[in-house]
Amino acid sequence: MAELSIAGTPGRVMKADGDRSARARLVILLLCLALALSVFLSLTSGASDASAVRVIRDWFTGAVPADAALAGRDRLIVYDIRMPRVLLGVLIGAALAVCGAVMQGLFRNPLADPGLIGVSAGSSLGAVAIIVLGTTWLAPGTLALGTLALPLAAFVGGLAVTLLLYAIATRQGRTSVATMLLAGIAINALAMALTGILIFMADDRQLRDLTFWQLGSLAGATWPKIGTVGPVIVLALSAMPFLARGLNALALGEATAGHLGIPVQRLKYTAIVGGSAAVGASVAVSGGIGFIGIVVPHVLRLAIGPDNRYLLPASALLGASLLLLADAVARTIVAPAELPIGIVTAVAGAPFFLWILLRKRGIVDL
Amino acid sequence: MVEARDISVAIGGKRIVSHVDFAARPGEVSAIVGPNGSGKTTLLKALTGELAYTGTVTLNGHDLSVMKPVEAATLRAVLPQSTALSFPFTVREIVRLGLIGGRSGALPGEDARLPERALARVDLDGFAGRFYQELSGGEQQRVQLARVLCQVWAPGLEGRPRYLFLDEPVSSLDVKHQLIIMNIARDFARRGGGVVAILHDLNLTAMYADRIFVLHHGQLAAAGAPTDVLNDELIEKVFDCRLKVGALPAGSVPFVLPQSAA
Repeated sequence: MAELSIAGTPGRVMKADGDRSARARLVILLLCLALALSVFLSLTSGASDASAVRVIRDWFTGAVPADAALAGRDRLIVYDIRMPRVLLGVLIGAALAVCGAVMQGLFRNPLADPGLIGVSAGSSLGAVAIIVLGTTWLAPGTLALGTLALPLAAFVGGLAVTLLLYAIATRQGRTSVATMLLAGIAINALAMALTGILIFMADDRQLRDLTFWQLGSLAGATWPKIGTVGPVIVLALSAMPFLARGLNALALGEATAGHLGIPVQRLKYTAIVGGSAAVGASVAVSGGIGFIGIVVPHVLRLAIGPDNRYLLPASALLGASLLLLADAVARTIVAPAELPIGIVTAVAGAPFFLWILLRKRGIVDL
Repeated sequence: MVEARDISVAIGGKRIVSHVDFAARPGEVSAIVGPNGSGKTTLLKALTGELAYTGTVTLNGHDLSVMKPVEAATLRAVLPQSTALSFPFTVREIVRLGLIGGRSGALPGEDARLPERALARVDLDGFAGRFYQELSGGEQQRVQLARVLCQVWAPGLEGRPRYLFLDEPVSSLDVKHQLIIMNIARDFARRGGGVVAILHDLNLTAMYADRIFVLHHGQLAAAGAPTDVLNDELIEKVFDCRLKVGALPAGSVPFVLPQSAA
């Protein structure tokens, strides 16, 4: 049970006063460097031999390259292919990791993850509905909303699942782990079944568009897409730091958080709406990318503790870095073809997740 | 003053508390006693706004039902029966959560040191760096009390009394720590605050409570000073157990009362 030890690794050396804020700040600083390094690696690696360093240097110095045609091709690759992809990777990696941390705080459970409990599946359903039905049944909606229709539908799907889950799994301020996971499995299956029906209805062109939802990929990154989902993700993520203190208090339970002066209802709704918006926007452009949301916050809790004031920014940084690295692997390991990034994160993340379960068998009370 | 008039609480269609009047004055320890299932915790949850109730609850004359969480948190802190965590917080991180509202009432600049001082008061000196989840139930209970003490460190703020609501604060503690915790409660009251505590041990209740509220089947069976309330008839009626107040055990049977503490 939870009363027993799951805390840190036994024998872990910690300052005797239990204050981990200094270590947390140091870790965040290191993660900033790691992200810078990941961005550099992503910009400079890829199937083509285009030199991002040279392109950026030329841009800074205004130098005119000797081979104009080659330089033009390199500029195109760096500016229009790699840069939007890197930016998208940063946005989505940060969004998935921060939403994971926020959902875990909301459900008071380290196993809550947008992918695991069906939120991503709900978003996928919304997105697929727009792709398949956008020209027929939902045509008035897609016409009115334009490029916003897809992310909006993904957001609504994710929001619906989160609200449903919360209503099912929470009774009198206590969230049941077992109910949450089981309800998540059921909702996941339902959303996938409905998605399956839509795919069954899709034509060939739509099917090509759809394939990438199943696996997840950053390959569709373009500047217009970033223009659509970027503001949603940035807006949702910038609301999250304001939830940090409330989520800390919420770890003691809803009632106690309220007694500490936290407006619990507002906190919950902000977390649910913001989290669904960010996850929905991410799913809308990149499909389902799993395990970032559960692995990143978990590793960071071991390193710097569960204080959300540090956990949320650190999750954003580590999530962005890891997704960029996963994408670099996806792009280069079978070049010139590329692996869907969802496969890379699943291959790395699933065993890690099993390891968490093994360590926590005592408290996951199923 | 914490004043409640005609409080009723129903959970799932079943009435748990019926028409209870309650008043806890600053400067006093008010104890709620009664057998299991008599509605003590439910009443406390109504008094702290955690459960929906009919009737009125006022804190220092202000209607609780229209108070914002932060306003209520400035006036009172609440200790639940037990608190389990699923994240690896250290003891200091938990205690510091009591300062989240920023109205401890300590002198400016003292807040940073309050967690240590609160832990020392509940006899957990040196525990700040331990993981909460690695502590025993009794230790966890005292960590939570330290957090609650941080929240209302000064028993009064801006001339108005503040309150501690304690749900079975000593239920999982050994006798030494029962006395320490009850002394903290009495000290808080002596310095002008009010304490509302659910207690099971009638001897501790008689020793520390200024007023006792006895619940029986969700209704108030008696209220008043310990000497007026604790009598043979009431105990037999409420606890369904024939006990004699003040009777000593026969000859050689040892007994240990908290009142004998030096």
